[in-house]
Amino acid sequence: MPAAASLHCLVVDDQMTMRSLVRTSLQQLGVREIREAADGEIALRDIISKPAHLIISDYNMPNLDGLGLLRAVRAHPPTSKTAFIMLTGRADRELVQRAVQFGVNNYLVKPFTVAQLKGKLEAVFGPLT
Amino acid sequence: MDAFEAIKVTFFQECDELLADLEAKLMLLEQGQTDLETINAVFRAVHSVKGGAGAFGLEALVRFAHVFETLMDELRSGRKPCDTITIKTLLRASDVLADHIQAAQGLIPQVDEGRSAALVAELEMLTHGGEAPPAVEDEDDDFGFMPMAFDMALDEPVAAPEPELEAVGWRIVFKPMGRMYANANETGLLLRELGRLGPTTVVLDDSETPTLDALSVEDGCLTWTVDLDAAVDEAALLEVFDFVESDCELAITPLGGASNMNAPFEDEPAAVLPASDDLDIAALLAKASGAVADPVPETIPFAAIEPEPAPAVATPAPTPVAAAPVAASASVAPAPVTIRVDLDRVDRLINVVGELVIQQAMLSQRVLESGLARSSGIALGLEDLELLTREIQDSVMAIRAQPVKSVFQRMPRLVREVADMVSKQVRLVTVGEDTEVDKTVVERLAEPITHMLRNAIDHGLETPDERIAAGKSAEGTVRLAALHRSGRIVIEISDDGRGINRERVKKIAIDKGLIAADAPLTDEQIDNLIFAPGFSTAAVVSDISGRGVGMDVVKRSIQALGGRISISSVPGKGSTFTLSLPLTLAVLDGMVVAAAEQTLIAPLPTIVESLTPQAADLHFVGGVDPVIRFRDRFLPLIDVALIMGFREQPMNPTDGVAVVVETEGGQQAALLFDAIQGQRQVVIKSLETNYQQVEGVAAATILGDGRVALILDVDVIVTDMRRKSIRPDFKLAS
Repeated sequence: MPAAASLHCLVVDDQMTMRSLVRTSLQQLGVREIREAADGEIALRDIISKPAHLIISDYNMPNLDGLGLLRAVRAHPPTSKTAFIMLTGRADRELVQRAVQFGVNNYLVKPFTVAQLKGKLEAVFGPLT
Repeated sequence: MDAFEAIKVTFFQECDELLADLEAKLMLLEQGQTDLETINAVFRAVHSVKGGAGAFGLEALVRFAHVFETLMDELRSGRKPCDTITIKTLLRASDVLADHIQAAQGLIPQVDEGRSAALVAELEMLTHGGEAPPAVEDEDDDFGFMPMAFDMALDEPVAAPEPELEAVGWRIVFKPMGRMYANANETGLLLRELGRLGPTTVVLDDSETPTLDALSVEDGCLTWTVDLDAAVDEAALLEVFDFVESDCELAITPLGGASNMNAPFEDEPAAVLPASDDLDIAALLAKASGAVADPVPETIPFAAIEPEPAPAVATPAPTPVAAAPVAASASVAPAPVTIRVDLDRVDRLINVVGELVIQQAMLSQRVLESGLARSSGIALGLEDLELLTREIQDSVMAIRAQPVKSVFQRMPRLVREVADMVSKQVRLVTVGEDTEVDKTVVERLAEPITHMLRNAIDHGLETPDERIAAGKSAEGTVRLAALHRSGRIVIEISDDGRGINRERVKKIAIDKGLIAADAPLTDEQIDNLIFAPGFSTAAVVSDISGRGVGMDVVKRSIQALGGRISISSVPGKGSTFTLSLPLTLAVLDGMVVAAAEQTLIAPLPTIVESLTPQAADLHFVGGVDPVIRFRDRFLPLIDVALIMGFREQPMNPTDGVAVVVETEGGQQAALLFDAIQGQRQVVIKSLETNYQQVEGVAAATILGDGRVALILDVDVIVTDMRRKSIRPDFKLAS
């Protein structure tokens, strides 16, 4: 049973508000190691230089969007097994399908509750302690 | 304030940035730069506002942003053209969006509902091209943010379960492919999810597993057969496999019913991707990993969450990557790092630094008075301290410096609205948005600039008909520029309109008794009459530039900031208003002078030169007004102590020092003081808040010895006070 406290998480969103919301929610779930990146490109640099277990990334971002980040993360052997949850602004079926093709592990629709985030994390990692 | 509220504050701050960005990008669109990147940036800004607003339950804002966003989505997909009419609507929509944000913040009581509804209708009209908007449920679908409403299975042609089929259970045959594992998915979790739906019997078929020598760890070779003893909806089953269905072979058969096979997904994911998706992943990775060009996967001991046997977050936490040179790679461009700091903290710091400067000056003075040699260790140390203090002060001031952009970006909306109101065509050109100035100055710039822009459009520019008749383009141009000039910030507001009608201005001034009918005035003096109190050229006080506020009020608010305003105008060509303001309201380089028993500060930027008056250079105009020769010209010589009332009788000019100063308007004069004591940086303390406004005094400061010294308002002394002080019975004591 994975411990939330040992989970290393990278939160990617161009909006500080969203990053803060995800961070706060994660903290409520007991996640302590949380890094942030303001776009896909910064996130990619970050994840390549320092691994994480999970990326929670927005889709629509400047420079490199969420899908691009997902593809790059999956294409790079050292990071390819990082779990990836995509944040979407609405239930955009086409987007989620494309993300699934690129190997996304789950998605989370904004706005979300802590319980929803927990559900998504557990769907990816199993029950958290 | 709880975390949620704190984030909300951040959200509204971010909204301001997003709105500014939105405005800037819309301006680009308006200028014809309708490329995808710009449209996308507009979409993103609106989308972000909506996303954040949703998180805080700001429904009115979400609803408006949604309609806005939907049109942007049509534009960026190319389904709708980004034409002039659309852009005009977008601009107005951004104004209403700003109103909604303000209303959500409680800054304005409520949004103009009529205007908002009209804009929504306009946006929807553009989105749906005159057709009826789609059915309500579609709207709900987009809008409800119901994660559960989304169902991947809906798209699968064979996914719909046959309604007449009463399955009592399901058999799921599931064979993960290698890439399912590669995407960090786990069989165990999927089995657990299935187990939640009802009692399961799981059979593992490992017959395809090759012998060890032929085994490839990356391949999938296990087949799981799960019998689910529960009459659940097939959609619920498919949901479990939402994220892996293209990475596995999956067959779902109802137990005790007809076969309902889902064909295994054989197609390669890439094959169904749009051709336009040309992201160069290799280049991206190379760029992102910087110098680490050769793959060194083994040196990154990433303890991934291993799927087997039991799902567990890797413990210990990822090993530090000390061995990997990746983190140290020098070619990784550092992202600009910023932090947000509460303004109060910065202000507190500035205050303390101000006190530090004063203390340092006091200490220096004490040391000087104690008779210690300049070469003594203490004196030298103090000199170093002074340099450091100054550096601290500059650095702290830089924290507060902000580009004037935040004010400038509010102006396009104003120009649009005013132009609409007076039916004129106006183009606003802004220059120097990145010019930095102290935050307080930035904030207080908005009002005078607003007023002067209104004035330029309402009075300065002609109507389109008049412009065409005058051989100009129908569209008038208003230019708003910011620049640094000799330690001050200069704001210029110019128009290419009719210029100031001097005859009319003069007539009004005479009618209102502001000047004598026969007053010999230069063109410049006539132009500057519009700043005179009680002067208003508008025949009817209009709603736009009138508002009961004249240019004299603008002038006073600028002066309160330590600034000056002047105007230059060419008939038929237009007018230019020039504002000049100090960069900061906190410190000033000054010359310390003595006048009678008082110590005064003359702002250094105004000082041209100082000289000792010689009897031969002194003359008296009309026997009373003293003037001094300065480089082949005669300048008025002003006895500051006399006009300030520090003494009753004028001093003998040859006993004092003359300091030549120049006003913002370029007027020169010589100020007569008893002596010059030195030059230093002083911390400005408002006289108004601590005492009251005194004519001729801009502010006060605390000297090294703890005394208060007044900082002179040179412009007022030279232009206004000199005249008043000259009484008819004034006689020089010779």
